[in-house]
Amino acid sequence: MSYVLGLSGLYHDSAAVLLHDGKVVAAAGEERFSRVKHDAGLPVLAARWCLQHAGIAAGDLTCVVWYEKPLRKFERILVTQVAQFPRSARAFRRSTFNWLTDKLWVKSSIVTELGVPPEKVLFSDHHQSHAASAFYASPFSEAAVLTVDGVGEWATTSLYRAGPGGLEPLAEILFPDSIGLVYSAFTAYLGFQVNDGEYKVMGMAAYGQPRYEAEVRRVLRLQADGAYDVDLDYVSYHWSAEDSFTPALARLLGPPRFPGAPFDPTTPEGQRYADIAASVQKVTEDALVGLAGWLHARTGLENLCLAGGVALNSVANRQLLLRGPFARLYVQPAAGDAGGAMGAALWAWHEVLGNPRAAEPVALSTPGLGQAWSDDAIGALLADLRVKHEAIDPEQVPERAAADLAEGKVLGWFQGRFEWGPRALGHRSILADPRRADMTDRINAKIKFREAFRPFAPSVRAGDEARYFDVPPGGELLAEWMLLVAPVRTAELPATTHADGTARLHVVRFEANPLFHSLLDTFGDATGHPVLLNTSFNLKGEPIVASPVQALATFFRSGLDALYLGSFRVEQSQVEG
Amino acid sequence: MSVRAADLPLHAVSWLVWKILPGRAATKMAEFSHTEAGSGLDMLAATEETPRPELRARYFRHALDELRHARLFRERAGALASARSPQGRSRAQAVLEDGGYLASQGIRGSESLFRQLGELEFLAFVWVHEKRGAEQFDLYASLLRDDASTAAMFAEIARDERFHIAYSRAELDRYTKAGATHDVRWAVLRVRGRRAWQGWLRLTRDLGNAMAGLWLGLLYLLVIGPFSLVARATERPVGGILAAPPRAPAAERARGMA
Repeated sequence: MSYVLGLSGLYHDSAAVLLHDGKVVAAAGEERFSRVKHDAGLPVLAARWCLQHAGIAAGDLTCVVWYEKPLRKFERILVTQVAQFPRSARAFRRSTFNWLTDKLWVKSSIVTELGVPPEKVLFSDHHQSHAASAFYASPFSEAAVLTVDGVGEWATTSLYRAGPGGLEPLAEILFPDSIGLVYSAFTAYLGFQVNDGEYKVMGMAAYGQPRYEAEVRRVLRLQADGAYDVDLDYVSYHWSAEDSFTPALARLLGPPRFPGAPFDPTTPEGQRYADIAASVQKVTEDALVGLAGWLHARTGLENLCLAGGVALNSVANRQLLLRGPFARLYVQPAAGDAGGAMGAALWAWHEVLGNPRAAEPVALSTPGLGQAWSDDAIGALLADLRVKHEAIDPEQVPERAAADLAEGKVLGWFQGRFEWGPRALGHRSILADPRRADMTDRINAKIKFREAFRPFAPSVRAGDEARYFDVPPGGELLAEWMLLVAPVRTAELPATTHADGTARLHVVRFEANPLFHSLLDTFGDATGHPVLLNTSFNLKGEPIVASPVQALATFFRSGLDALYLGSFRVEQSQVEG
Repeated sequence: MSVRAADLPLHAVSWLVWKILPGRAATKMAEFSHTEAGSGLDMLAATEETPRPELRARYFRHALDELRHARLFRERAGALASARSPQGRSRAQAVLEDGGYLASQGIRGSESLFRQLGELEFLAFVWVHEKRGAEQFDLYASLLRDDASTAAMFAEIARDERFHIAYSRAELDRYTKAGATHDVRWAVLRVRGRRAWQGWLRLTRDLGNAMAGLWLGLLYLLVIGPFSLVARATERPVGGILAAPPRAPAAERARGMA
C-alpha cells in the first residue's frame, strides 16, 4: 500500500490531493477549509484533511510532491527584475521579501506543518504537473498534451507527447510571452480581478463582436507556425507588482473599465468593453488552435489533453474541438494551479516511483473527491442550532426537491463529498428551473448578489444533451466537468442560455453522481425536461461552501427558498440565538 | 459625549480618519469588511468545533451577524469610494479585492481561533473584543452624525455587538457561578495580554517590513542596478516555440528544488 500526497500553492488556488496505490482518493482546494477564495497559502488544512480521510499519519506517506521548482521560479523573478531595472523597484522589494521570508522555505514548511521527513519531499515542475494532471487523469493511453497558463518557473506554454513511457516534453514557450498573463492583463483592463475575473471576461465576450481583434493582435502576436509572442510595451506584469497593463494599452483601446462599475452592453461604453472582451477571447482561441496545430503536426495523435488555467476557458475549448486538428479533448476538473497538486502526485506515482499505467486507462470518474458529512452529523447540527427542518426519507429527496424546483423555488443543494475544482457539479450547488426566464436576474440579484450579465449553466441528464445542445464531437468528456460551451438548440431553457445563444453545459452521468442524476430524472418526469440551472453554492467573493455550517450560513444570508442538506429540508426562518 | 483621557488618542485618530483624510474612510470601511468577515469565519469555526450544543446556536447567530456586517462595510466602502477620486477609489477597491488581506495582517492561521484558545478563553476573547468594538463603533457613529447612512450602519452594528457582549458575559458569569472565578479572571487577563502582545507584534512586524524594504531598496540600487547593465547588454532571448531542454531521469530531478 502506497500513499502519495501532491501539494500546490503559494501563488493562488492551493490544494492537496492524495493517491492510494495510484488512485485519487481525496482532493480538495485549501479555500474550502480556510474560506479564503483562491487561498494562496500552503494547503495545510486540505493536506491534513486528506490524511484524516484516508485514516493515515504523515509518516505513512511514501512521498509528498510539491508541484513546482521554487528555486527556478525565484531565479526567473530575479532575472526579470534585473532586466527591468529601475522600474521593477517596487516589485523587487515585495517579491524578494516574500520569497526570502516564505516561499523559498516551502520544503521546511511542509516538513514542519505536516510532520513529513524531509527526504520524502519531492518536487515536480509546474507545467509537468499540469501535463500529468491532464494525461494521467484521462482515459487516453496516448495523447498530445498542451499546457497553457500564466507562468510556471519559466515556461508559459508547454507541449508534450504522452504515452506508456510517460510524458515526453517536446517544446515550450517562455516568460514573458504568455497567453494566460495577457488574458489576465485584459481582465484587469476590463475592471475584473486578476486570477479571479478571467471567466467574467469570457462571459462578457458573449455581448460583443471581435471588433478590436487587430488591436489585440498587436499585443499578442500570433505567428503562422502556432508560436506567439507579446509586445511588452502594452503589459507590465513582468516588472510591476500592482498592475498588469500599461498606459499604452489604454491609448490603443481607450480608457479601462473601473473595477466595480456597472456593465451595460446597451451603452456605447459597455459595448466597447464587450467588443474588447470578444476580441481577447477570439485571439486567445486562435492562439490555442495554432498551438494545437503545431502539436498535431509533431505527434500525429488523435487525442489532446489540455491543462493550465487557460484550459478552464470553456468557450476556447469548443473552438479547439471545432477548428483544431484533434478528434478528442480532455481537461480534468481542476485544470488551474489547484490541479498541479494532482499532477505532481500522479507524475511521482508513475514516473518517479515507476508504476506503469493500466493498458486501458480509466478516466477520473467523479468530481466528488472532497469531504462529506453523514445525515447523523447534519441532524445533530440542525437540532443544536435550533433551525427548523424536516427530515426526509433519503429515497424521497430527489422527488421532494424536484417538486420544489418545478414550483419555481430556488434550492441550495448540499449532498455527498464536495467537488474537486472550481465548478459546482451537483454536490454543492444552487439549483433552479431553467425554463423560467426571470431566474437569471433573480438569482444574480437576490441570491448570489453578483453582476447581472453573468450566465448560469445547465446540468442535463446524460443521454439527453443532444436534445438541447449542439455538443461538438470529441467534447463529451469536457461536458462532464462543465468545461465546454455549446450552442443551445431550444428556446425552452431561457435561464441558462447566454446572450449569444450558448450555454456552458454539464452532462451528468449516473456513475458520476447518482443522486443528482436521480434528481434530473425526477425533474424530467415532472416537467418533460431533465435539465436544471446549476450554479455554485456560494455568495459573490466567497469560496463554494464545504461544510453544513457554511451551507447554512450561506443559505440564511441569501434569498434561497429551501436547502436540501443531506436528507434534511430547511426553509428560511429566523435563527434563534 | 464625554471622553475619557485614556480614549483621547482613539478619538484623535478616528477624527482624523473619518473627518479629515480624503478617501481614508472608504479604505477603512474596506478593512473593516475583511475584519468582520474574518470574525464571521472564526465564529463559524467555533460553531463547528464547540462541544456545547447550547453555545453552538449562539456562535452561529453571532457568525451571521459578523458576515452581515462585512457586507454592510463592503457596500458602504463601495459607496464612499465611488464618490472619491480615481486614486482614492483604487485604494479602497484594492483592499476590497485583496483576498489575502487578513493573512497579510497576520490574522487567521491554519488553526482556528477556537482551537487555539479553548472554550473559556474564546468566550473571554469574544467579550473583550466585542466590548471594544462596540465602543469604537459608538464613537464612529457619533463622529459621523452628518453622514446619516454611515452613522446608521455603525449604530446597527453596535446594537448587534451589544448582544454579543451580553451572551459572552453571561457565559463567563456562568463559569464564575460554577466556581471558576479564578479561571475566568485569568482568561480575560490572558486575552487582554494577548491583545497588547499582538499590537506589539504588529508594530514590530511593520517596523521590520519597513527596514527590510529599506535594505532591499538599497540592494536593488547598489547590486541589481549594475547587474542590469550586464543584462541589457544581452538581448532578450528569441521567443517562439523552443525545443524542450534535455532532462535528467525523473527520480533524480524530483529531489531538487531547482
